[in-house]
Amino acid sequence: MEEEKYIEELVGKRNPFRVPEGYFEGFTAQLMEQLPEKSKPRAKSVWLRPWFYAAACACVLLVSATVWFSLPEKELQQAPMAVVDQQHPQEQEDAIEEAADYMMLDNYDIYAYMSEN
Amino acid sequence: MDKAEFEQIVRQYSEPLYWQIRRMVLSHEDANDILQNTFMKAWNRMDDFHGESKISTWLSRIALNESVDFLRHNKRQINAIDDGMSVADTLMADPYFDGSEIEARLQQAIASLPEVQRTVFQLRYYDDMKYSDMSKLLNTSEGALKASYHIAVKKISEFFKSHD
Repeated sequence: MEEEKYIEELVGKRNPFRVPEGYFEGFTAQLMEQLPEKSKPRAKSVWLRPWFYAAACACVLLVSATVWFSLPEKELQQAPMAVVDQQHPQEQEDAIEEAADYMMLDNYDIYAYMSEN
Repeated sequence: MDKAEFEQIVRQYSEPLYWQIRRMVLSHEDANDILQNTFMKAWNRMDDFHGESKISTWLSRIALNESVDFLRHNKRQINAIDDGMSVADTLMADPYFDGSEIEARLQQAIASLPEVQRTVFQLRYYDDMKYSDMSKLLNTSEGALKASYHIAVKKISEFFKSHD
């Protein structure tokens, strides 16, 4: 590239920057002094997981049962699976939200749990 | 990774990283701060490094990101006139710059480039970095990097021709 040659011939590629004497020699030691101890890795709450599953299942069952028993009688006479299928998606989402609230989980906890898996 | 291993990495890479940073930010004090921040971040993120790239590439990436962040936060001071002194004037007055006036003017021309062109120019012109390596470092296509370098060189060449 002609322009690149022009710059090289005009200025060159010399490093015009300097450092204080002994800078690099002292840098490593200075940095290591300031380096914090590695924080202990967040203990995975593995022992909590069975309880999490149990609590999640219990809450979902509780909410489902509540919804089931509050359905009008004529809907109950239809096949149970049909009732679930016809259940409005918004109600299912509400049920999950209610379960999450009951377990006092926020979105961060749910995402953190999912990412650990 | 324990501290002893990390110390070896610092010893091995501090100088090349320093020069990458210094050419971006110009001042020794700023470069020193950014270099320390780079290694602090690397230490804290060591568990996230799984060997997807060379460790030198990973460290360079952190260093360049820190440098670009610094430049964005200090745009007014670095890029143009600061208290009536140009970048070239400021460098000529800097005890840790022993270049000629024309070398100072080159730094001024480089400092006026947008960050990407500035980074690409520094890596190619001073480090002779291959575009394939630069592509891995900056996560940009080789074609885009070549275009960036070409534009940067044109601008710098025009800067000198217009200031002659």
